[in-house]
Amino acid sequence: MFKKMIDDCTVKSPWIYHINSGSCNGCDIELVAVLTPRYDAERFGFKLVGTPRHADIIVVSGPVTSQSRDRLIRTIEQVPDPKVVVSLGSCPRSCNVFKGSYSVEGPLDKFVKVDVPVAGCAPKPEAVIDGLALAAKILEEKRRNMAK
Amino acid sequence: MQILWFLFYILIFPGFLFTTFAGLLLAGIDRKVLARMQRRIGPPITQPFYDFVKLMGKETIVPDAASRTAFLTAPVIGFVSLIVTAVVIPIGNFLAFRGIADVIVIIYLLTIPAVAIIIGGASSGSPFSGIGISREMVAIVSYELPLILVLLTVCKKAGMMLSGGMTFSLSDIVVYQFYNGTMVSHWAMIPAAIAFLMIIPGEVGTQPFDIAEAETEICEGTMAEYSGAPLALFELSHAVKMFVMTALFTSLFISGWTTGSIVLDTIIVLAICILVTIISMTLPHASAARLKVEWLFRYYWKIVSALALVSLILVWCGL
Repeated sequence: MFKKMIDDCTVKSPWIYHINSGSCNGCDIELVAVLTPRYDAERFGFKLVGTPRHADIIVVSGPVTSQSRDRLIRTIEQVPDPKVVVSLGSCPRSCNVFKGSYSVEGPLDKFVKVDVPVAGCAPKPEAVIDGLALAAKILEEKRRNMAK
Repeated sequence: MQILWFLFYILIFPGFLFTTFAGLLLAGIDRKVLARMQRRIGPPITQPFYDFVKLMGKETIVPDAASRTAFLTAPVIGFVSLIVTAVVIPIGNFLAFRGIADVIVIIYLLTIPAVAIIIGGASSGSPFSGIGISREMVAIVSYELPLILVLLTVCKKAGMMLSGGMTFSLSDIVVYQFYNGTMVSHWAMIPAAIAFLMIIPGEVGTQPFDIAEAETEICEGTMAEYSGAPLALFELSHAVKMFVMTALFTSLFISGWTTGSIVLDTIIVLAICILVTIISMTLPHASAARLKVEWLFRYYWKIVSALALVSLILVWCGL
């Protein structure tokens, strides 16, 4: 009985933690725009938290630079299960215009498993909300499989 | 039979079940009204309940640097002491436990949740928690002085009429208001009531006064290493503290009336609690940014303490 209740509540209260692994700040602003009164993602229960220990969804923006690689992997490992990784923008998918730079190590899925990629440079807030809603569904699925 | 009634008081009606429900309701209404003030749609009123249940289902991580026992028992201590406080506070005319000095008990019990946060933060072994607990200590020192001044004022006001001295019994305060009208209808008590309204957000730790859990500066401060069930208990304590403080305000300043039915009394008390929550916590949250540590200290010791002191002097002069 409790298991089903927890599964149902997981999809309604996904908390977001945002990591910038060398982004140009464009996608970061779009993510914040999602939480403003105009788009208001809080009506689905999304909440931006300040520490990886509280997070359910990890949003990574920017290509993975050599400075941020180890810290990124360590931060994502600190998030308690179940967790979902969302890549925000084109940079974590393909390195975008930074491809071939001496300080860029490569796309995000080389280092961690990405569940939901949101494309765009920068993605529209509607696309970000869509991606986050999909991530919340995957989160519920992971929670269901975890408890088995 | 007596023991069964005590168990009922502690576990169901003014105790665990009712307080949890009322606290989560107040927290949900706070978030919804805040969203409406910012012209957002906002989360559903049941959102704190979803958050709580979800956190219960998450993995609990205990860091290597933490001392395990203190890290895991601190949230339980804080939550239990809040439940005990809620049992002592009268709802309308109904009082589960009568005591001679329950105001003093409440002063001590209200400090324990903050101390539990300090214990939990200190045992989690993170530098962010270290900064958080030092800020939490400053917050305790700030709001304790005006809180005690306000409680002294109310006790003196009720005690002068009943025995000539002071009374530290909440049931006496309710009886006094039953015969002489509510406390806020005496003009000398109005500064104390305003001071108490200003203390509530500091005690609960909502937005402009949440220096210990500043998520943008120090990564949630004292809560930085908590995850899963202990974090859920801390969130629940935060919600229950909202109800305990607003119910305490209700019984100190706006009680003494009764409709005869305990269910109706409870509903009216809940309605007053919601109103007090919106005035004292949601309005400052929507209109002000987080204070600096020294500003918080100055605010409580200068403005709020001065208001409480004015009331205390007026009451001492017999007004």
